[in-house]
Amino acid sequence: MADALLNPLSLTLSVQTSEAFAAPAMSLADRASRALESGVWGAVMYIVIGLVAVLTAVSVLGLVMSYIERKVAGHFQCRLGPMRVGPHGVLQSLADGIKLLFKEGIEPGDGDKVIFIGAPIFSITATILLLAIVPLAPGIQVVDMNVGVVYIAAVSGLGVMGILMGGWSSNNKWSLLGAMRAGAQMISYEVSLTIALLVVVLFSGTLKVSEIIESQQQGWWIWRGHGVAIVAFCLYVIASTAELNRTPFDLPEGESELTGGYHTEYSGLRFSFFFLAEFANLFVFSALAVTFFFGGWLPFHVGNYEGFNAVMDLLPPVISPMFWFGSKCALLIFVLMWFRWTFPRLRMDQLMRLEWKVLLPIGFVNLIVAATIVLTGLYFFPSAT
Amino acid sequence: MATTTPDPTETDCPPMDFGDLKSECVAPRPSIMGQKRSLRSILWLSFKGILRGLLTTLSYFRRPSTVVTQQYPENRETLEMFERYRGRLSLIHNEEGEHGCTACQICERLCPNASIIITKDKKNEATGKPALDQFIWRQDTCTFCNICVLVCPFDTLEMTGDFESSVYDRRLLVFNLNEYAGPTAGQLDKLEDEELAKAQMKPMKKYQGPVPMCGGEMDGIPKLDVEKSTDV
Repeated sequence: MADALLNPLSLTLSVQTSEAFAAPAMSLADRASRALESGVWGAVMYIVIGLVAVLTAVSVLGLVMSYIERKVAGHFQCRLGPMRVGPHGVLQSLADGIKLLFKEGIEPGDGDKVIFIGAPIFSITATILLLAIVPLAPGIQVVDMNVGVVYIAAVSGLGVMGILMGGWSSNNKWSLLGAMRAGAQMISYEVSLTIALLVVVLFSGTLKVSEIIESQQQGWWIWRGHGVAIVAFCLYVIASTAELNRTPFDLPEGESELTGGYHTEYSGLRFSFFFLAEFANLFVFSALAVTFFFGGWLPFHVGNYEGFNAVMDLLPPVISPMFWFGSKCALLIFVLMWFRWTFPRLRMDQLMRLEWKVLLPIGFVNLIVAATIVLTGLYFFPSAT
Repeated sequence: MATTTPDPTETDCPPMDFGDLKSECVAPRPSIMGQKRSLRSILWLSFKGILRGLLTTLSYFRRPSTVVTQQYPENRETLEMFERYRGRLSLIHNEEGEHGCTACQICERLCPNASIIITKDKKNEATGKPALDQFIWRQDTCTFCNICVLVCPFDTLEMTGDFESSVYDRRLLVFNLNEYAGPTAGQLDKLEDEELAKAQMKPMKKYQGPVPMCGGEMDGIPKLDVEKSTDV
């Protein structure tokens, strides 16, 4: 492990270290690879089942989280949020979904039809691809590739394409301006996002997402990261807020100046695709933060307090990872919602200045410090191996 | 050079007095913009500002009692409108059902849209003074500007919290505010004979008398059956 850390080139080759951790007997990923090897039909079956599962997850996430967002937003602003449809408005998002299904899909007359129709599909595809790599529990992961972090960085950049396509093809100045803002913003903040994730990659010595979680058996990286990980986490939260186009970085949709931003011209099901992608992205980015900094599905342990740790391990093996992953995710999502309903919007130049003059230098210094710690072996925590 | 924050007592803006409402000139809070400050103090101020905002919203979130939303149709029975809400205009009647309007017509003259029409008995036989006959309010043209309430020398008018004034016929928005035609409460009290005073109070219904438009026949519109329409 130490050799792997010392030689940056061998980072991707550290897959063999996975034997060091207690791996589940037969994970979904193992079954997947077996299915893929068993022939064309096995591969097709696996892809279809995986796609259906992820698509269902996206729709359910969109429904549940739009309701929670509206409820949370209401109470942050001394309101109640949806109250009419069902008890305390629980069926509100279902009603909204049905309404959107029945709405007419309007296309702008002078717009570029093909790109216009393609944009929301592109946007939601990027989200689905990203959701595929999120490890929900040991083995419950659609794909677990050995270059997971590279994949995350690559695919999260795809979302901006959908937005740019939507803005361009609408043939509307508000859409175009919103899309251009979104493009500039998302591409800029992606740099900080990736740099923040690289810190954890340096510490854990692997790019495989499931192994990053297993490397946190001794303690989550946010505690064990010598403070470097805390800085990285703060960078990640700020950058992911910008990446999600949420307040205080919601310039692409700034209602007061751009009506609706890049989705001004969209209606009906196509609009709901953008909407679903937005909420699923919120989940995905929180899930990634949990995976990288808060030990994914691992329960909360404090050092050598055996009694406390035993209490934390009380949950049965199937429910425990779901519970821990879910509760950590929910907490982070709540924090992002809290930010959204508290902060005012930044100006475009302030946004760019924050990224290129503040976050990026901090991120680079942080990365260099992390690399120095890893290379010189200045650990004051038990090494993972 | 550190700039000093302006002292609130040194501003040349004296406290103003608007009757019940008092206003004190508050010096603007020191802004971090346009001042020479060290990077550290700017960072600290920004951090403090962010934290304060977060704690404010969290305190609202934690306490559901801060919710101001009214669940209107459900809480119709218990709904209390705000003191200064301007709903339906009302002529105040005391416990004995007597109003204080002397029919001086100041409100009628000052009403910007002529929404008040007052007819009066020029000389009441018992008191020898003018007495109110009909206080007609045209809700359909009223802008709820509150001038009539402000100018009334006897404080007999008020804006109530009643906002449910939808009707199916526009003509029903023109009606009488007074419950009886006759002298004011004060003038009635001065009369020695109580029987005589009672006799002066001729009952006035909401839709009664030559009220403009109210129930009247118009081109192509049949006469309005007020009893039937107001039952709904």
